[in-house]
Amino acid sequence: MALSKDELKAAILDKAMTAPKPQLYVKDFYACDPDAKPRDVKNAANDLVKEGKMDFWSSGSTTMYAAKGRAKDEEHR
Amino acid sequence: MPKHDTPLLDELEKGPWPSFVTDLKRQAEKKPECFDILGQVELSYKDKITHWKHGGIVGVFGYGGGIVGRYSDVPERFPGVAHFHTVRLNQPSSKFYSSAKLRDICNLWEKYGSGMTNMHGSTGDLVLLGTTTPNLEPLFYELTHDLNQDLGGSGSNLRTPECCLGRARCEWGCYDTQDLCHSLTMHYQDEIHRPAFPYKFKFKFSGCPNDCVAAIARSDFAVIGTWRDDIRIDQAAVKGYIKGEFAPNAGAHSGKDWGKFDIKAEVLDLCPTGCMWLEGDTLKIDNSECTRCMHCINVMPRALRPGKKQGATICVGAKAPILDGAQFATMTIPFLEINKDTEYAEVVEVIEKIWDWWMEVGKNRERVGETIMRMGLPTFLKVMEITPLPQHIKEPRSNPYVFWQDDEVEGGFERDVKEFRKRNAQ
Repeated sequence: MALSKDELKAAILDKAMTAPKPQLYVKDFYACDPDAKPRDVKNAANDLVKEGKMDFWSSGSTTMYAAKGRAKDEEHR
Repeated sequence: MPKHDTPLLDELEKGPWPSFVTDLKRQAEKKPECFDILGQVELSYKDKITHWKHGGIVGVFGYGGGIVGRYSDVPERFPGVAHFHTVRLNQPSSKFYSSAKLRDICNLWEKYGSGMTNMHGSTGDLVLLGTTTPNLEPLFYELTHDLNQDLGGSGSNLRTPECCLGRARCEWGCYDTQDLCHSLTMHYQDEIHRPAFPYKFKFKFSGCPNDCVAAIARSDFAVIGTWRDDIRIDQAAVKGYIKGEFAPNAGAHSGKDWGKFDIKAEVLDLCPTGCMWLEGDTLKIDNSECTRCMHCINVMPRALRPGKKQGATICVGAKAPILDGAQFATMTIPFLEINKDTEYAEVVEVIEKIWDWWMEVGKNRERVGETIMRMGLPTFLKVMEITPLPQHIKEPRSNPYVFWQDDEVEGGFERDVKEFRKRNAQ
């Protein structure tokens, strides 16, 4: 059974904070709830950005997600 | 900011053509950071490597697209371009905007950015080149509140949809490209502004098979106008072309001595399927063989017009050559009615079927055309619930295997191997 939206967001945030790589593709979060539809996972991840708990990291052509403070701008690399 | 010596760039000012170097020098009188653009580009020409690095968490609050972070990797030498972010603005359908609107955008960009623009980006956006991170939010506020202007798409988002001039200027538009483009832009605001997909996804809308926005070559989802009945023929106008009363191609090739118009050499013999012929001076067309190449209509626009039963062909999966080379979109739905009365529900249904599948099976950074190649067109057509047509087939099958589906075989593919072994020697 699919997780509730809040449970899904918690699982996504946990993965974003603990994954070895700071930036993750939206597809990397699908495993947080294999029963959830991809669109629901995307919406939950985007909600976390709106809430200020995650950031978008974009190369310009691809967008990834990172827990707040984990990703760095190219300026700081 | 000081001027830099730019002997290599100065070469680009020679000759009769407009030069971006001249533009940058002129702009630098108002915006001194433009001297640093020139200095850094000169250094790149010398080093034969880019000194831009791009990417990061820059953006405006709530948006996951429209801003592309860009930085100099030699900021100590060129501090004016230490941050040099790009801003993409969603262009109006067919790029119809007033000079007042352009002036307002340019004035705002002078205030918050370098003043340098790119009209237009490949996806049609108005591209504003070069600003700093602290300027992004105030720029965005004024863009949206004072200019009623939104950002375009970037990253793994739906990119800014683009359409041809359509029925606004063109008699061949088989559907209202501007309205469909605008409607889907509004319908998919979330997908344009926030990442949704494994990679970028582009819509392009062309009103006829001339495909003036090159949808078939540049978009993941190409909607190309077409018709399903007969080309309309005005036989009197055909005779007029034969007699030389009308310039072929509406005079587009006038000015040189091409000789008298020769309908056989210039139209009939160039028809790719050979479906046209003359009986006396009456033009005949076997419409069942017509592939909608538009050549005859382009040459004799007074005499020939698209048919009356109009709609669009849906092609899916074009892309530029990052992986496996460039590819054209694959014809997926030969004819789809484009119906404004249903708020384009038929088009939306097709789009979302593609997205649902691609979001599920597409790999990271894999365009939908690459997913179709990897999974196979039969799989894609099955997902789309489309019965394969002869036009879907690229070439005759060259191997002897028949790929049945599980439900097409009596008893399916489930087998008891032990039972099988009892009856068949190993």
